[in-house]
Amino acid sequence: MKVGFFIGCNTAFNRPDLEQAVRFSYPHLGVEIDDLEGQSCCPSWGTMPSVDLAGWSAVSARNFCLAEEKDLDIVTVCGSCYGSLAETRHSLQKDPDLREKVNGILEGLGRNYRGSANVYQSVGYLYKKIDIDKVRQSLKYSLAGLKVALQPGCHTLWPSKIYVDREEDSFHPHILKDMCQALGADVADYSRMTDCCGMGGMRSADMERSFNLLNVKLKSIKEEADPDLIVTGCSSCLIQIDTAQGQLYKDGKIKFQIPVLHYMQLLALCLGGEPEKVAGLAKTSVSGVINKIRGDSNV
Amino acid sequence: MVSKTGVYVCHCGENIAGSVDVAKVVNYSTTLPGVSVSREYLFMCSDPGQELIRKDIEAGIVDRVVVAACTPRTHEPIFRKALEDAGLNQYLFEMANIRDQDSWAHWGDKEGATQKAQRLIASAVAKANLLQPLQQRYVEVEKSTLVVGAGVSGMFAALDLAGMGYKVWLLDRNPSVGGNMAKLDKTFPTNDCSACILTPVMVQVANHPNIELLTYSEVEAVNGSIGNFNVTVRKKQTYIDWDKCTGCGDCVTACLGKTDNEFNEGLDSRKALYIAFPQAVPKRAVLDQDSCINCAGSHIGKEHKINAKSGEPMLAPCEKVCKTGACDRTLAHDSGGESFDINVGTIIVASGYQAMPKEPFKEYSPDSPNVITCMQLERILSATGPTDGEFHRPSDGQKPKTVAFISCVGSRDKNHHVYCSKVCCMYMLKEARLIKEKYPETEVYIFFIDVRTPGKDFEEYYNYCRELGIKIVRGRVGAVDQLPGDGLRVRAYDVDMDTPVTLEADLVALATAMEPSAGLADLGRKLGITCGSEGFLKEVHTKLYPVETSVKGIYIAGCAQGPKDIPESVSQSRAASSAAAVPLTAGRVPVEPFSSSVDQEKCSGCGICVPLCPYSAISREEIDGKVRAGIEIALCAGCGVCAAACPSLAITLQGFTADQIFAQIDALTSVAGGGPID
Amino acid sequence: MISESENIVFNLSEGEPRFVAQIKELGGEEILECIQCGKCAAVCPMALAGFPIFNKKLIQAIFLGAREALLDDSSIWACQSCNRCTEICPRDVRPFEIILAMRRVAVREFAVPAMSVEGLKSLYDVGHAVYLKDSGQTRQKVGLPEKPPSVIAFPKALKELQAILHQSALWEIGIIPMEGNEMADTCEV
Repeated sequence: MKVGFFIGCNTAFNRPDLEQAVRFSYPHLGVEIDDLEGQSCCPSWGTMPSVDLAGWSAVSARNFCLAEEKDLDIVTVCGSCYGSLAETRHSLQKDPDLREKVNGILEGLGRNYRGSANVYQSVGYLYKKIDIDKVRQSLKYSLAGLKVALQPGCHTLWPSKIYVDREEDSFHPHILKDMCQALGADVADYSRMTDCCGMGGMRSADMERSFNLLNVKLKSIKEEADPDLIVTGCSSCLIQIDTAQGQLYKDGKIKFQIPVLHYMQLLALCLGGEPEKVAGLAKTSVSGVINKIRGDSNV
Repeated sequence: MVSKTGVYVCHCGENIAGSVDVAKVVNYSTTLPGVSVSREYLFMCSDPGQELIRKDIEAGIVDRVVVAACTPRTHEPIFRKALEDAGLNQYLFEMANIRDQDSWAHWGDKEGATQKAQRLIASAVAKANLLQPLQQRYVEVEKSTLVVGAGVSGMFAALDLAGMGYKVWLLDRNPSVGGNMAKLDKTFPTNDCSACILTPVMVQVANHPNIELLTYSEVEAVNGSIGNFNVTVRKKQTYIDWDKCTGCGDCVTACLGKTDNEFNEGLDSRKALYIAFPQAVPKRAVLDQDSCINCAGSHIGKEHKINAKSGEPMLAPCEKVCKTGACDRTLAHDSGGESFDINVGTIIVASGYQAMPKEPFKEYSPDSPNVITCMQLERILSATGPTDGEFHRPSDGQKPKTVAFISCVGSRDKNHHVYCSKVCCMYMLKEARLIKEKYPETEVYIFFIDVRTPGKDFEEYYNYCRELGIKIVRGRVGAVDQLPGDGLRVRAYDVDMDTPVTLEADLVALATAMEPSAGLADLGRKLGITCGSEGFLKEVHTKLYPVETSVKGIYIAGCAQGPKDIPESVSQSRAASSAAAVPLTAGRVPVEPFSSSVDQEKCSGCGICVPLCPYSAISREEIDGKVRAGIEIALCAGCGVCAAACPSLAITLQGFTADQIFAQIDALTSVAGGGPID
Repeated sequence: MISESENIVFNLSEGEPRFVAQIKELGGEEILECIQCGKCAAVCPMALAGFPIFNKKLIQAIFLGAREALLDDSSIWACQSCNRCTEICPRDVRPFEIILAMRRVAVREFAVPAMSVEGLKSLYDVGHAVYLKDSGQTRQKVGLPEKPPSVIAFPKALKELQAILHQSALWEIGIIPMEGNEMADTCEV
């Protein structure tokens, strides 16, 4: 099995430890990674999607072409990339005029969008394509005794209609939960699991409002779940929750800081990945959690 | 003989004249072959309009009539009557629909619409010139009615007809009559107890000498037409001999099989052997085989096992306790039940509605037991419900302190039903009021999109609810989150406050949409009547013929036609019974003379037409030593399939002869092909 | 309607009559299906975070043609694109698409926050909306090559991307400097 890895801006430049986590864990589970050389921005919501549909779709379609030319599907760790790519794929699928227009643009580059490649988010891909028992059996460390709270990320859920690896009930998602339980974690529910983390456009537009929004969520996590770790399904959520907590703590708005990792990082750790490489760039310290995983819970 | 055809063009107020140049059309009509006169009038169907036609006939100017106006569906009978009154055979009449099919469809294109009106009139005139007088036929009417559905609508329709002296078959697929209304606690706007006003009616239908109840039965097939419908009814297998059963309930108590209780909307369980509800009519037990656990190894239709020790047969508990012998599991019950035919003159469909379940609305956390539908809440509030009328929430039996209602769940929703379910605003207010009146300390919130209370005494009801302290929030709820424990967080946007709002509630009630009851489309197909895009049965005309269907002799009442409250359902059911009584009272009904006839000279006796006839009206018979097709006029419905199929052109459909149809086509196509028609 | 606005009263007669049509052309096709039920606003992060304009209000303002007022407010750029509104809308309005359509109007009027212009510039110049100059070191720290295998490492691929952008509306609008488009350089944003 082979898949095209769509890295995304934030992962490549901000949290390359997450990129390493994918590069480590996917092959461990028998999924070979293709780099999709020359991939660009998805493009993210504030750029071409906010300018025009055809331009957005053309940039996106070029990324799909890189996978199609190798007969591959695409996985992302970033909710925005996942959403942007899936939405253009949906538009191109249902709108022949748009497709013609986009292929008109791509023609000059010697490319042609066919629509054969699908896009998956990294956790959903494993859930759909890999036997969950295989994940269990490949673990070097388990998360037994570790309580986690989940942050699947808006884009892994909505609009569910357009995703091939969608949840059956997008308001009560279970994929990330099942996958964490496969690692041995104790998953604690909290009422604001599907609330937005405040990243994206809002963080760029107004950091204070963005952090305040996250604060409501963090309090729900702390009060209702009180976990050892927050696990995200999206790189943007990872960055927001990881970096905002320091500021909120400094401002006296929270009295705690909870470590946070993307699921792929947690998986990489359980598969024996080097902590400095696969989880070495966290701002909110994760060393306690990592010690617990690697020290106390040897399989 | 040269015809003298009169053309009468209607303005229909502005409906036609607003888009068709009527004066031009009238001028054009006079140029058509066979036309002796052409006139216009503001409303041709009004008395002065009809008078124009009558005068021309009486003066001998006109012997064929074409009216260019609206649809023959509603207006043909009116104009035919005018012809008769003036002494002309009513079938020497043709209508050109220049409103529905022209002015309305091409509004804003006056030139095009005018041209099209001319074509339609030319075609109608071409046919009218060739019309021949026909004689109306009559069929005798079977003086009985089948009412499908024994809810409040069906029961009132049945009682009215039975009261007039007609025999009524009242059919319901459930074991008891009563329908959805039997599940309700109280009814708006007067808050009468539903059971108190409904159960006497249930007893009345059961005791009425002219009403025969067919509960736990379904319509299997319908044949025939107005006056003479032949209906195959299947009485489902109850596995209990209802002639012997007294409804004592001993078998129910003894039964060990369990399943969800549909009468209580799944909030508790009932036995496999059950009586639908304590006030059921008829009060008889039914064995639901799917949940029967065959106690003591007692299978239906098999001999009892013999106890090795005692040598006695081993009876199931239900059999042991039955004092009348109504419960005998050894009998060879046919699982399909029993089918039989009944003959009726008219049929009323009052098959009701069902309330949508909560499961499709994932954003409202339907997995929580404390998120319920308003129909479920109705059962919780009802004295006959799973909590005996105590206000308890499902998760832990605690009395809710805060209740939130959510409106328009599944209504006004393109993913479910785009229509407004019409009754939800009022039933939410009613349930809220019942809670608030009985438990004033309870906080009750109702989240609305729009409060719709357009009924007699409804707005007053709404105002009273506000005075009681029920809090009305304008804004559709976006999410219901499950909180630790059994609590719920309701999240909405208060449009009037212009702010997001949140509420911690112990119980959330969803006002789910009313939708067509399961199997309605299938029933519609059996009856030959059409469903609208929303799945409810369609009336012929919303305003003028609201209880008639596309099939003569079949009428609709209550929520089978669309969402309604009880007052409206009862009004409509009594209207339907009145309409259904007309043919019964007349004793015979006119049948269009549009039947087929065979020219014995041309018929080769090939028999192609015989199997094609949907009414089995044609057979091959020997006439003067030759095999020929013979048509039984009483059975012929005038569909024309035989005439179209006959290779020898030996069959003619009166009123639609080949000459007439070809003349119409010629007129349409020559005009269309020949460029501008004027 | 718009808190910052000097005019407390919005004169309905001054609404832009073609506004709805423009929004529909730019991707907000279903706008007229909205019945203002408020379901989207109940869960919209923008509404919850206190921005003056969000899905439901934006749609009503477009209905009424409040074009100038909308262009004066930058809330739409704070939309997270979470798409929860699109998921739950009972009318299939797809409110997020209306936000995108409104952004497309704003881009054509150059009524765009500097941050968003930066994102577009970065997309054109380096092929990524987000690019951190010192990311090479970060990458090496976790054992990855300095550059990811994206347009950053493949100049020919960047040219391809730019060629696409040259054929998009971005070129006609001229909101960012692009090779061969001198006009944009002089534009104040």
